[in-house]
Amino acid sequence: MTIRFGLVGAIALATTSMLTLGAALAQDEVTITIWSLDDANQPALNLAREFDEREPGIKVEYREIQFDDVVSEAMRAFATGQAPDIIAVDNPEHALFAARGAFLDITDRIANSEVIDPANYFPGPLNSVAWDGKLYGVPKATNTIALYYNKDLYAKAGITEPPKTWDELVEVSRKLNDPANNIYGLAFSAKANEEGTFQFLPWAQMGGGGYDNINAPGAVKALEIWKTILDEKLASPDTLTRGQWDSTGTFNSGNAAQVISGPWELNRMLEEAKFDWGVALLPTETEGGTRSSAMGDFNWAIFASTQHPDEAFKALEYFASQDDRLFPEFGQLPARSDIGLPETGVALKDAALKVFLEQLQYAQARGPHPEWPKISKAIQDAIQQALTGQTEPQAALDQAAATIGGILGN
Amino acid sequence: MTRLLSSLRDGKGFDIVLVAVPLLFLLALSGLPLIYNVVMSFQEVDMFSLGTFARPWVGLKNYIAVFSAPETWPIMRNTAVFVVCSIAGQFLLGFGLALFFTQKFPGASYIRGLFLASWVMPGLVVGAIWNWILAGDFGVLNYVLKALGIISENIFWRSDTNWSLWAVIIANIWLGTAFNMILLAVGLAGIPRDLYEAAELDGATSWQRFWTMTLPMMRSTIGAVISLGLIFTLQQFDLFAAITSGGPANSSNVAQYWAWEQSFRQYDFAKGSTISVVMIAVVMIASIIYVRSTRHEVRG
Repeated sequence: MTIRFGLVGAIALATTSMLTLGAALAQDEVTITIWSLDDANQPALNLAREFDEREPGIKVEYREIQFDDVVSEAMRAFATGQAPDIIAVDNPEHALFAARGAFLDITDRIANSEVIDPANYFPGPLNSVAWDGKLYGVPKATNTIALYYNKDLYAKAGITEPPKTWDELVEVSRKLNDPANNIYGLAFSAKANEEGTFQFLPWAQMGGGGYDNINAPGAVKALEIWKTILDEKLASPDTLTRGQWDSTGTFNSGNAAQVISGPWELNRMLEEAKFDWGVALLPTETEGGTRSSAMGDFNWAIFASTQHPDEAFKALEYFASQDDRLFPEFGQLPARSDIGLPETGVALKDAALKVFLEQLQYAQARGPHPEWPKISKAIQDAIQQALTGQTEPQAALDQAAATIGGILGN
Repeated sequence: MTRLLSSLRDGKGFDIVLVAVPLLFLLALSGLPLIYNVVMSFQEVDMFSLGTFARPWVGLKNYIAVFSAPETWPIMRNTAVFVVCSIAGQFLLGFGLALFFTQKFPGASYIRGLFLASWVMPGLVVGAIWNWILAGDFGVLNYVLKALGIISENIFWRSDTNWSLWAVIIANIWLGTAFNMILLAVGLAGIPRDLYEAAELDGATSWQRFWTMTLPMMRSTIGAVISLGLIFTLQQFDLFAAITSGGPANSSNVAQYWAWEQSFRQYDFAKGSTISVVMIAVVMIASIIYVRSTRHEVRG
């Protein structure tokens, strides 16, 4: 019995002393865990470390996870009650967690925050952290795609400006196509994974479609244009199995005159491309028609299971307050329209960034929808069925629309 | 306590311990996941119920969904073609090389050892290398075939629906040949030399010697090589991930890649485990046939 009393007494003593000593000591106990795929050269790890040093009451534990494991690790951790406080997830997967109540609803916290103002963000990235009218995170960074073109090859073919419409793109690609010298007119990715959806969806949206209306006439026309490009071998047949990184490699080596890709290629292109190049906005269906673009990169979210929502939100506020350092220090684009990118001094890069920043205003989130991987798969299947000639574009997209309709519960 | 210790020392208890440890290991690391997998195929599983057993039972719904999917039969067909052609290719090349290296010539055993380099390489590395070899525009294979005058236009091995499955089969045959060669070479070395000498004295031609002596004496080795080949080819995943990702339009998709895709790309774990249960059934049938066909054999 004495032992028991001793224990209770000790607990009581500890509790009272904690209470009397006040908040400062209590905060000493707080540890928040952050999972992200960023390594030492990327923002999350560095910002987490800074936050740890700035806040004496908060200890930060950082864990680096691999890109392919983010979702499965996070699900498993959440299912077994060991989720971190904060995680960075790829934007199309945000709704997957938000809709199941796994992420903390931070709408009110953001409304009261002096640091995070939703009005500062580009609409696409902001939309990707929203579900059911509430905010479940903060965009971490963003990116999009545009049309890179080889100015030297343009001059040789007598082309003065980049194409503005889809038809012009096909026309220009025909002029640039030069099989004798192993040069394709265009490079892009129609691979059967998320990259294929990432590249096709903007076209469907420019044509008046979308993931919930994937067989709109304009989306069918977009797929027909893609089919024309592949059937006429204006792009390598390997477009079907090659990702964006490898496709852009063929542009850098001079084997494709144009490529549709993102700003993540800029540094590599500066190193590899031995020619003059430029970047243009994605061509639209008709001259001056609706613009759209893909939206990539990760979002921050707080797990609903966190014991320290206040401290976790404080960390997000700190990360957001450092957004102006994302580009100069880490080469990533902040998802905010109120932050101008400083000149890098490299003319090609600065010109390209201007275009990407303009393109970002049209960038649309994929979804958001908790069943995004299945929706995306239906779109990929349609693209591949049509481009391999197994199904007509119209029929392939009708099939995808039916599958997606089933998922959306229509 | 002393009895227990002495039983360990006198050998009997020790035998039991030796058998029990691996049995427990097998049970925990192979048996339980296998059962878990079968259970999942009868349940509705999503990412958030992955960690618990308390999930709604759906009976045969997953099986019906898998077998009524339009891609199921093409994928099953691909799997069969992949397994049969890979095993045939690996076995024929492996046997040919094994016979070649039983000839006595300087450095034979060293060169044979070098062949193992292909076997120890990770599948993803092999896949990346074959990716370059098989690339449509600038691949080495197309260059060689063109230079030899066999083809006039580049074959897009990875992106042409007629070739994509063959691209993976070619890479897999290359990967598995060395292993087949080593196992078969061991089998060949087990055949007593003097039998051949006697047969030669009796005037048997080399073809007769191969057909009436080598093949029958190799029967159990060949059986083992082929059943191992079945397991290894049904396990082959890395090459698909590295070379074609099952595409384009599922033309090179096989059951094992499909199961992974369902589980870890679509997060449909129930469907993924359903596909793997079907695969387990196929492997079990094949191994029963193998065990029955060899059980009357006397091994030595």
